[in-house]
Parts: sequence; C-alpha cells; structure tokens
Amino acid sequence: MLSTETIDGVLIVRVEERRLDASKAPLFKEHVSAALGGDVNRLVLDLGQVEFIDSSGLGVIVSVLKRLGPSGSLAIASANSAVRRLFSLTRMDRVFILYDTPQSAIENLRA
Amino acid sequence: MSSSLSLKIDSDLAGVGPVARAVRALCSETLDELALDELELGVVEALNNVIKHGYAGQKGSLVQVRVGLKADKVVVEIIDQAPPMPPSALQPSDPWAGIDAAEPQDLPEGGMGLALIQMTMDEVAYSSRKGVNTLTLTKLLSRK
Repeated sequence: MLSTETIDGVLIVRVEERRLDASKAPLFKEHVSAALGGDVNRLVLDLGQVEFIDSSGLGVIVSVLKRLGPSGSLAIASANSAVRRLFSLTRMDRVFILYDTPQSAIENLRA
Repeated sequence: MSSSLSLKIDSDLAGVGPVARAVRALCSETLDELALDELELGVVEALNNVIKHGYAGQKGSLVQVRVGLKADKVVVEIIDQAPPMPPSALQPSDPWAGIDAAEPQDLPEGGMGLALIQMTMDEVAYSSRKGVNTLTLTKLLSRK
C-alpha cells in the first residue's frame, strides 16, 4: 500500500495505490500510522501513483497532519489534476503545500 | 441525442471505484477533464454515503446507478432502498468555514461527503417515495 524512505530527516511516504477512497482509508491510516513512529515531524506524501482521492482519503491525510503536531510539517507531492481539484474544493490547498515533485517538497521542508 | 445506462452494484465500498470509473468513461465524450474529475468525485461521495450511512456499511443490498446523457447535461441517479436521509442532510453546508484561521487540530476529517456532492455538481435533488430513494446529480455541459 505504501513504501517509505528517509532523506535528510524527512520521511517520504510513497502511496502505492491508484485510488485512496473509503474502501482503503482505514487500512491506509493504519499503514501511515505505523510508518510515522515516534520522532518523525517532517513528512512528504508522494501521490505520484494516485489517480483519485475521495473525502475519506483526504480525512486520513488531515489526521496525519494532526498527528505530526504543532512543530510538524506535511507536504504533498506529485498530485494529479483530480487530486488537486479535491484539495482546492475543500480549501485544503491552503493548509497543505502541493509540490510538483518529491524532490522540491524535500528541499522546502529541509530549508 | 439522449441515451442512458443502468448499473447495479452491491452495497460494498470496494465496488464504488469501478462504477465511478465506468460512469466517467461513459461521459468522457461529453464532459471536459475538469468536469469529469468533479463528476467522478461527486458520484463516489454519493455512493459512499448510501453505503456507509444508508446501509450502515452492510454488504448485501443493491444500489442502482443510472446515467443519462443528454444534449446539454449528464444526469446520474443513485437509487437505493435504505432508510432515507433527513431533509436537512442536503442543506448547503460548509465544513470548511473558518479554515483559514483554523488550527490543524480543528480541521475536519469527515462529514465532508455531502458538501462535496453539492460542490461538484450543478444540481442535486433528492426524493424518497415508497421506500425508494433517488439522489439525482446533474452536471451541465460547460460552454467551451
């Protein structure tokens, strides 16, 4: 469902699903929680393989942001047009910064 | 030009994605990409809502999806026989009110489905008669 990698203290979570919807949201939440561990507070969510997210999937992403706490930051990378539309409709594009590539997200979180 | 197609699925969240993709494919000659993205999202939220709330997440009931292609619009009807939604459910709502000032801890994680249906569609209507509920979602053709 996902793979992870740590670069310069930033956890990259690559979602390996084409659809992040209500049928997958509970399991996705479990997997991300397991990946977070104790001291992670900067995270890049790589959505390069994701074609579609519904409000349940978005809810999990919001829960991850909450879990990271006040000092944490969560950046979104490689969202397609459908996912970007979901973020703009729900105004979550004002909460999360959407980057075109994981690399640019990592650079910004590191800075 | 007018044609329609009807699909039936079990009340199982795992079946929502394939049906939504089928609806999208049916309308791909009629709507532009942005409208297709919105249509797919609205249909998914509507089906999730019927299954999660109408049928309380239980499999084994039928949900019908009827797609009508007209000259000037696409009409998707979601038909179920679950307990009906209260009339207030489809009142305009904004789960994201005050989001600009909100702390992350206050951001909504759920309860966004009905609002997204309203936001992605041009018209939303709901009727419940003799135990049959019909949610009618209309997407108008954008003038290019």
